[in-house]
Amino acid sequence: MIKIENLCKEYQDFKIDHINLEVDKGEYFVVLGPSGSGKTLLLEMIAGLIKPDSGSIRGVYHSRIGLIYQDYMLFPHMNVFRNIGYGLRIIKTGKDEINNIVRSTAQELDISHLLHRRIDRLSGGERQRVAIARTMVLEPEIYLFDEPTAALDLSTRIKIQRLFMRLHKELRPTVIHVTHDFEEALVLGDRVALLFDGKMVQIDTPEKVFNNPVTKTAADFLGYKNVLSGKIKDYRMNIHGVEIMTMVPRSDLAYIAIRANGIILSKEKILSSARNSFPGEVLRVIQRENHIEVVFDIGILLHVDITSQSRQELAVKPGRRLWATFKTAALKVFEH
Amino acid sequence: MKVKLIFSFLGTLLVLSIVVPLFRMIIATTPGELVRAAVEPEVIGSIILTLRASLWATIVAFGLGVPLAFVLARSRFFGKKIVEGLIDIPVIIPHTAAGIALLMVWGRESLFTRWTGLSIIGTEASVSLGMFFVSVPFLINSAKEAFKLIDVRYEKTAITLGATTWKAFTTVSLPMARKAIISGGIMMWARGISEFGAVVILAYHPMTAPVLIFERFQNYGLKHAVPVTVLLIIISLVIFIVLRFREDRL
Repeated sequence: MIKIENLCKEYQDFKIDHINLEVDKGEYFVVLGPSGSGKTLLLEMIAGLIKPDSGSIRGVYHSRIGLIYQDYMLFPHMNVFRNIGYGLRIIKTGKDEINNIVRSTAQELDISHLLHRRIDRLSGGERQRVAIARTMVLEPEIYLFDEPTAALDLSTRIKIQRLFMRLHKELRPTVIHVTHDFEEALVLGDRVALLFDGKMVQIDTPEKVFNNPVTKTAADFLGYKNVLSGKIKDYRMNIHGVEIMTMVPRSDLAYIAIRANGIILSKEKILSSARNSFPGEVLRVIQRENHIEVVFDIGILLHVDITSQSRQELAVKPGRRLWATFKTAALKVFEH
Repeated sequence: MKVKLIFSFLGTLLVLSIVVPLFRMIIATTPGELVRAAVEPEVIGSIILTLRASLWATIVAFGLGVPLAFVLARSRFFGKKIVEGLIDIPVIIPHTAAGIALLMVWGRESLFTRWTGLSIIGTEASVSLGMFFVSVPFLINSAKEAFKLIDVRYEKTAITLGATTWKAFTTVSLPMARKAIISGGIMMWARGISEFGAVVILAYHPMTAPVLIFERFQNYGLKHAVPVTVLLIIISLVIFIVLRFREDRL
């Protein structure tokens, strides 16, 4: 088990602020946070490359650790074979053994045909596989992944994520994977930690983190497109004359967050258990990759995700008057 | 289009300002004079001494300058800017002044000579010393810039793969900076060969080619200085063109 206690570090423009964390043996742990939140610094401290200012990291010093950076850091003056065999040469493995290990690992990762290729002749996905192979040959007990798919296109990213899942299932190493992509965290993580400005604000299963962000920043980062602030009195938050029902009796200043797919658009007012229903007007209709985003004005602006079918059936276009409805329970409230 | 034409014209002026004097000198020398200079032991000896002394200076600079360049590229420390400024001093001061400064430290009246009883003044070592002093910034600065361009995460990756810091330096950083370091080394060697001011103060004898050229000009006039000059230029040109072509393969 990796046990991190009260870890603090200020390094160049980054900082880690009193982090406490336990990662179980064989767990796939994802640290999710925006750029500049201190994710790489945390990994480099776990890898022993940077000393903490205070606090401790236990359970790593006698372990073999493999660190893979976002840009893979393949040595450009070596071909693929020599890159993969680098660590083995360092620990003075015999030539024949290096040859066998490199070839079998390359076969496992489907890169046997690339062994004599130069690094600058590889695609992003191929580079990532070579970087994994270079680490894998040393049979690490702990893998540290630093945004390993950030530079890849969508289809390659999915392939590499599947590869991570397969390797983790087969080898069961402990993995700490940092990313800014919450979909990746959802796909890969046994548990997810949210890291903002060097602080860990939430650690839980991916589902719980996504459904129950504990701060406004977390809600913003996790894709809650509607984050509003105001005063709550008698369960009602009044924002520019629009009264939204919440489950909190009163608060001098609070944020509420609603997922864009948690709001229903309808032609008429829906008679339902939902306590929040407002008439309004469509301002903009934006075609996204998998859905339509509607900017809807109820006195305040709401972002609502709908399908193409709904767009057609409701004749959604700018100027169209509709109703927006959402349940009180769909609101996440964060008090200041 | 117009800009390109103007720039090409300006560039041509610059190239001509270098080529014309060299060409003028070459055509002023007859092949016979060149051959006579080439077989003259004093001339050949001075050219070989010049090339060799500058090579020694460059080899020593590799040993001392490359580690320093790495430290300057990778570390932050108090006084770093001052150290960087000090390294550039030999480029900005008159080279005769550099020679005088070196004489104060290594000359017959210096503490070094008084304590050890050894004097390097007037030897090939002092020639190398003068060349080293004035040309080492070329190697250090070139290596420093090359190390700066290498992402430190390459070294960190090597360390997580089991390398020591030294191994990471020798197997990753140094090979990655190799081309720029070699290029800096070639520049340093070239600068050393052309050095006159510092060398003439430290060692009039043994005579390097630039000192010999000066002596011939001073004692016998332009006509006697030109063949030696042309010979040195031709030999240097051939060596550096070959090195530049082979640089990528080194």
